[in-house]
Amino acid sequence: MLVMKKLSKVYRTENIETHALRGFDILVREGEFVAVTGPSGSGKTTFLNIAGLLEEFTSGEYHLDGQDVRGLGDVARSRLRNEKIGFIFQSFNLIPDLNLYHNVDVPLRYRGMSRGERRERIEAALAQVGLSSRMKHYPAELSGGQQQRVAIARALAGGPRLLLADEPTGNLDSQMARSVLELLEEINGRGTTILMVTHDPELAARANRNVHIIDGQVSDLVHEPVLRATAAPATATP
Amino acid sequence: MFTYYLGLGLRHLRRNPILTGLIVVTLAVGVAASMATLTVLRAMSADPIPQKSDRLFTPNLDNRPDDGTNQDPRPPEQLTYRDAIALKNAKPGLRKSAVMRISPVVAPSRSDMKPFFGDGISVHADFFKMMDVPFIKGSAWSEADDARGGHVVVLRESMAEQLFGDANPVGKTLHLDTYDAIVTGVVSDQWEPLPRFYRLVSGPPPFRGVEDLFIPFNTAIANEMQPQGNVNCFTDPPPDAPPGYEGLKQSECIWVQFWVELASASEAPAYKDFLDGYVAEQRKLGRFPLPNNNKLYDVQGWLDVNKIVSKDTRLQTYLAFGFLLVCLVNCIGLLLAKFTARSGEIGVRRALGAPRRAIFKQYLVESGVVGLVGGAAGLGLTFASLWFLRKQSDEFAVLAKMDWMMLAITLVVAVVASLLAGILPTWRACQVQPALQLKSQ
Amino acid sequence: MEIQPILLALRRSKTGAILVAAQVALTLAIVCNALFVVKARIATIDRPSGVAEDEVFQIQYAAAGEIEDRKGMQQADLAALRAIPGVKAVAAVNSFPVSTSGWGMGVTLDGKPGSEIPTGVYFSGESFVNAMGLKLIAGRDFQEGEVREVDDRTDARVQADVVILSGRLARKLFGNEQKAIGKTVYQGSGKDAQQMRVIGVVDTLLSSSAPAIDDYANSTFIWPIRYLGATAHYAVRAEPSQRARVMKDAEKALGALRPDRVLVNLHDMDEIKYRRYRHERAGANMLIAVTIGLLLVTASGIVGVASLWVSQRRKQIGVRRALGAKRRDIVRYFVTENILITTAGIAAGLALAVGLNLFLVSKLELAKLPVVYLAGGMAAVWALGLIAVIGPAWRAASVPPAIATRSA
Repeated sequence: MLVMKKLSKVYRTENIETHALRGFDILVREGEFVAVTGPSGSGKTTFLNIAGLLEEFTSGEYHLDGQDVRGLGDVARSRLRNEKIGFIFQSFNLIPDLNLYHNVDVPLRYRGMSRGERRERIEAALAQVGLSSRMKHYPAELSGGQQQRVAIARALAGGPRLLLADEPTGNLDSQMARSVLELLEEINGRGTTILMVTHDPELAARANRNVHIIDGQVSDLVHEPVLRATAAPATATP
Repeated sequence: MFTYYLGLGLRHLRRNPILTGLIVVTLAVGVAASMATLTVLRAMSADPIPQKSDRLFTPNLDNRPDDGTNQDPRPPEQLTYRDAIALKNAKPGLRKSAVMRISPVVAPSRSDMKPFFGDGISVHADFFKMMDVPFIKGSAWSEADDARGGHVVVLRESMAEQLFGDANPVGKTLHLDTYDAIVTGVVSDQWEPLPRFYRLVSGPPPFRGVEDLFIPFNTAIANEMQPQGNVNCFTDPPPDAPPGYEGLKQSECIWVQFWVELASASEAPAYKDFLDGYVAEQRKLGRFPLPNNNKLYDVQGWLDVNKIVSKDTRLQTYLAFGFLLVCLVNCIGLLLAKFTARSGEIGVRRALGAPRRAIFKQYLVESGVVGLVGGAAGLGLTFASLWFLRKQSDEFAVLAKMDWMMLAITLVVAVVASLLAGILPTWRACQVQPALQLKSQ
Repeated sequence: MEIQPILLALRRSKTGAILVAAQVALTLAIVCNALFVVKARIATIDRPSGVAEDEVFQIQYAAAGEIEDRKGMQQADLAALRAIPGVKAVAAVNSFPVSTSGWGMGVTLDGKPGSEIPTGVYFSGESFVNAMGLKLIAGRDFQEGEVREVDDRTDARVQADVVILSGRLARKLFGNEQKAIGKTVYQGSGKDAQQMRVIGVVDTLLSSSAPAIDDYANSTFIWPIRYLGATAHYAVRAEPSQRARVMKDAEKALGALRPDRVLVNLHDMDEIKYRRYRHERAGANMLIAVTIGLLLVTASGIVGVASLWVSQRRKQIGVRRALGAKRRDIVRYFVTENILITTAGIAAGLALAVGLNLFLVSKLELAKLPVVYLAGGMAAVWALGLIAVIGPAWRAASVPPAIATRSA
């Protein structure tokens, strides 16, 4: 599903270079539920952004669903993002002046779908997350957990193969967090690959694979040590 | 997608009401200023008689003395009496008419009205067909009355109402100066060729004042009516010249305007040759000492040469558009502020798969929507400005009127201005890095 | 104050800075030129006509039929007018200054063609100088014996052999007014030229058309000619406080004398000036409106951009405050930043103002912009910028230092 080989991301500002990712290798198979952990500044958000085609990388290779993304223009990347990837953010990122229906509608608009088809998908997505009855409500009228569920519906509406979640439960209390996680597990159960960045070790434990990133490099932990890590002295042992 | 963006644009008007309000007001003010002045400018430079402005001509003959006194290269703007009559009686030209402004005493038969000075012009009968003057009752006077200077008169609608009320004035008599004139026709009040090119020289300002009445040119001459305009004498009369009106008629003083209608614009060179030939013949009789310097102007040429659109009007129009420019620059900044505040949403849309061009289109349309609102407000403000201008002077009363074309232009200008102003902010919006926006919430 | 860091920081918000500077530049260019034109218009409107403007009025009748004894009519009119209490002087005239209708002829020094100066012409059989309240600055007024009578029914030419010149005309022909006395000038040129002797010079006398260019407007002369024409046209000079009443009395008196005339004009000098300068007034008003509008728009632009920056920099401001900056240091930062930007705008605007002025000079016969307008414009725009930025700067200063510790 997702393959990165020797990926590097270097931020250059005036005189300073920051290596967010260095020699990053990872292979994620279809249907996996991967938790990405690591201390702050380790590069896990950068990894997610690159995986989600939100950022470009400096060197290396990245194949998404068999397609090499290097050299793709803005239009192609956007289309890929639109069709294959779904995003869930820590702070929900719903558009406040649109109601739930129109929020979920946003990614579908960029597909050029007919009105009928969009309606079907939106209703299905909202039903999946249990919020059909609040379709005409606005994000401000919902609790945090409900807003995140809408965000998930939005991410799912386009039928993505890969779901990227950045601290999806970070702004939720434990009860809401649990229900969101259950939802994610349900989605994964139906075949969607999920990459979830999280601080919370409990959450990480619920995934079926953990990837730990320190200083921009991968160290796979636990469950299925599928790939080797590059030799890194101070990292934890597999 | 366009309707989607339109919907979003409309919805987002409510967002950030102060900023949006400022943009709308700035745009409205800029649009109103430029459109109001443009309306006036357009009215002033309008073709008063588009259906035949290229077939109507006025000749200027140079009868000035050859003593170096006149450095102006332009020939005199009116004709002498004898030249006007000569040109009228000559063969060339489809229709011809002299035009002289007169102010006869009008003594209404109604006992409740005192005599007053009418404001009118004396013309040949050809004038009415030449200028496409519409009659609502009756018609122009006959050829016979035209030639012998009959006691006839044509009234303007409002003057006819003033004098005769609702009754049909055709056939009734009106006392003018020293004689009784029979009314042969009534001209519609709708006839308003602006500017009044046919009596441009020394009349009331070309956009003001209407003629109340028309009488035959020969009648005015026979009754020795004083020309109510410029009388220019470039040479003093010879010592044996008759005094008074007869002297005026025989002199080289210019005081008669003259218009000729040709079958088509292409006949102009031939008519000009005829004029030159006429002058050459007259030169043999001792007149026209200067070499040929005769001109034949069509309507537009005549308006240009008389500088109808004054420099002041042009200055005001330039200024108003300069003002619009400043407003536009202002809007760029305000739109930038408005769009910058929405970076979060832009980031989300990009993350959800919107390519940059989709964001560009969305925000450009949003600029256009604001522009449309600004244009509507600007339109209202333009109407108000024009109303205000009309109160300033009678001249503006006719010029400062909005027509459908200007209305459309106003809205188009507003939308185009907002689109132009929106280009930079929209382009900036597209450059928003989704990653940065989504991280720092 | 720390100018360099401010400049460096501005490089990151280039767009907003450039927008404000551009608006400032455009506004300065337009406002300087606009106010210059306004001043020129007002100067034209305010210039003295030479006439005693609070004392003089015009009264004119047109004949409704043939009037045989024109001289008799004129004398009766003059007597009736003189009889009104409060009247200081009366004269039968051919036209009024600034009234837009009158006589124009050419004057030469030597009668030779090619050098004719276009002039406005006035004549009266009575003392025109007295009736209009003109100021004689050299020589004398006409005497009874010098008056000529001209009836347009019988005399083809209008001429006299003595003349009073306006000051400007005298200076143009002879260098100074005193030198003009006793000299010869010609009306017209070539074989038709008429010789006249200058016996007096008045300070100022505007022509009837009174164009904007003073040189043309103020070249006039007066003849001692009693003109017997079809109209009865008089200048009446009255005590200022009684003028309004005298005007009514004059209309009654002359109307009572004969029924066969119609009143055409009854205006005092103020009204005459008001009508002549309608155009100039409208133009000046429009320009003033545009200037005010421009200043407001630019001010709103400055407020907009400054507010944007304040909201964008909240964290930075909080940090500064946390590090010990006082409120007024924050205000000073924004004000300094604003001054830098407006100064840049003004620099560009000065060049634009001069450029715009050159364009207007070539296209619209405007005069060149004096430096004082540029200086005034600069001062106004600086002040405007400062006033506009105070609000946002004050709001910036109110950002609590605690913001520094909260995450973005």
